[in-house]
Amino acid sequence: MKSKHFYAHLTETTDIILELGELDMSSEERIHLLSLVEANIHSSVINTVLSNLDEKNKKIFLNNLISDDHSEIWEHLNKSTNDLENKIKKTIDLMKKELLRDIKKART
Amino acid sequence: MHQKVKHPHYEHLREKWTKRHKQLQSEIFDKHKDSFEWFVNNSKQLTIGTLAGIFLLTSPIIPKIQTAFSSDDVAANKTIDKKAFVVHDLKNVLPQDVRSLTQEEEKNVGEILSRDYGMNVVPELDGKRLNTTYGIIGQEQHLARYPGDNMITHFDSLAEQEKYWDYGMAPGLGAWGYFSNSRDAMSEKDIQREKYYIAVQTFLVPGFNKNPKEYTDFFKYRKMLVVNPQNGKAIVVVIGDAGPAQWTGKQLGGSPEVMTYLERYDGSQRGPVLYFFIDDSNDKIPLGPIYL
Repeated sequence: MKSKHFYAHLTETTDIILELGELDMSSEERIHLLSLVEANIHSSVINTVLSNLDEKNKKIFLNNLISDDHSEIWEHLNKSTNDLENKIKKTIDLMKKELLRDIKKART
Repeated sequence: MHQKVKHPHYEHLREKWTKRHKQLQSEIFDKHKDSFEWFVNNSKQLTIGTLAGIFLLTSPIIPKIQTAFSSDDVAANKTIDKKAFVVHDLKNVLPQDVRSLTQEEEKNVGEILSRDYGMNVVPELDGKRLNTTYGIIGQEQHLARYPGDNMITHFDSLAEQEKYWDYGMAPGLGAWGYFSNSRDAMSEKDIQREKYYIAVQTFLVPGFNKNPKEYTDFFKYRKMLVVNPQNGKAIVVVIGDAGPAQWTGKQLGGSPEVMTYLERYDGSQRGPVLYFFIDDSNDKIPLGPIYL
């Protein structure tokens, strides 16, 4: 089955899921928070990608994003940028760190 | 109805993460706006669903996330509404409360409206301006267009009659009198002017009392752009009447056709609009709604 996002292989949110599991809330509420985790990560990834592209390549990327062809997206990004995969990974890690900090703070 | 109690941890994180997500969306939009605009203008298949996918405005679609794009819209696969850009642009420059804009704010709004609607939109024309460019709009009635015009003769079609009958006809004439001397002499332009008119507080305009003739001539059927900043709907109108009175708390009034298109209502649901002059000396811009 095709993964939901082109950067899915760089995302690992088990630690967030486990941390949320420690908080007192309904499963519906937990699912909603997880969707917000996903939304925050996605927005930060898109921001990172666009910030690393020139105007012409931004347009190509947006077109590819709409067509949702992951291999085409990566082919284009690898051709037009340097080390973007690593930058995306760092962005995701940074966002995750912030979200985990929020959860821990909420528990105290 | 039974309402479930929400847990405080959930409430706290939901609020925090929703806020962060909104900030990210704004940042993306502001930084890469040109690309998104190009994309919207050049993609024939673009839908609200796909746009939402790009911004991740609603993806994953979670009913509890309140955004401009509902999951229903995505399911309906509607054609992308470019008005969303206008709403976003204006949101960044308009104050929270409805008040007269500063010159800087008017300049910014004028630039946004000119760019988004493709016409020269200005707060001041020939050295003249209204008392404000941002105000609460109230409901006006139909105006008699020629001697003898009444609710029976007023509408072009049954559909129009059904839609706008309930607003009734003002007992008096508009500030400039009849739009035409007779039914036979009435032109399409006269019809459009009555349909798409606003009433503005010309009597509060600085300098009006010193030279009422000059100001009256200037304001009579002056073309304006009226925009609902909350939905991006815009309509080209003329100044067709003077009002409302200052004590009403409203700054202008709109004909039934104008109010219906803008989705503005009177009473407790009333809301603001922007109203700027259109610099259209050759009279090329038609009256009525602007479809982006």
